[in-house]
Amino acid sequence: MSQIIDAKGKPCPTPVLMAKKAMTEGAEAFTILVDNQTAVENLKRLADNQGFQAAVREEAGAYALDFTKGEGCAACEEAVRSPLPAPGADWAVFVGRDIIGDGDRELGTNLMRMYFYTLTQSEDKPGAVLFMNAGVKLPTLDEQVAEHLKTLSDAGTEILVCGTCLNFYGLSDQLKVGTVSNMYDIVTRMGKAAKVISL
Amino acid sequence: MDYGLITFSSTHGAICAQKALEPVTRVRVMPVLREISLGCGMALRFPPGDLEAVRQALAASGLQPGEYAFYAITGSGPALRAEPL
Repeated sequence: MSQIIDAKGKPCPTPVLMAKKAMTEGAEAFTILVDNQTAVENLKRLADNQGFQAAVREEAGAYALDFTKGEGCAACEEAVRSPLPAPGADWAVFVGRDIIGDGDRELGTNLMRMYFYTLTQSEDKPGAVLFMNAGVKLPTLDEQVAEHLKTLSDAGTEILVCGTCLNFYGLSDQLKVGTVSNMYDIVTRMGKAAKVISL
Repeated sequence: MDYGLITFSSTHGAICAQKALEPVTRVRVMPVLREISLGCGMALRFPPGDLEAVRQALAASGLQPGEYAFYAITGSGPALRAEPL
């Protein structure tokens, strides 16, 4: 019996990522269940791109797509086996300032709080958050961001804070969460991440 | 109710309310839940036991009653429920 992947209720692009994960794990036939037409179209496109055939069945308001591996070609094989930018891949956030964007400081401060709150609610949390320059004011002076960083830290996210910057701003004794770090560690951590998002 | 949520008709209102509520509750700024609005917006969450104190502090602020709304939030993920208060 082939593998059944239940992706009903999952937001875009999760069903596609679940199907691609099955492909990279070597599955040659599997069924994926989704509950909306957009996901069906995305999965059909994935099948075409990856050398699979996808037969769609509609069942009680949901859709079942039976994936079977086609004849394939070298390019398709390579695409299927290429590294996945999937949830769970290590990624990092670099924070070089204490607000998001330019413009009003108060708005930017609250956007930063909302950003870290949202990260705490996300299933795909970053492997590391790296603070430099005015960014070090967040794990020291902003109670809300510090609280969210503690939540992330408890979930396994590494919080690295530039010691030179803490010293510059006179905040060395006010770090509420994270590890005092240096340029060597931060550069190494960036290099280890599959992607780094700068704020 | 796991926590209370306040939505606002304007971002300025949310920022003003945060200042008014900081002395009376542990207020946290967060994005408006998708279950309530698909638009981008700023909301405030607070512990469920502080509902009355929050209501009073907002009533005493410069905000008008029509500029904000309360929700009771229970659960998370697909099981999340948001009920107007």
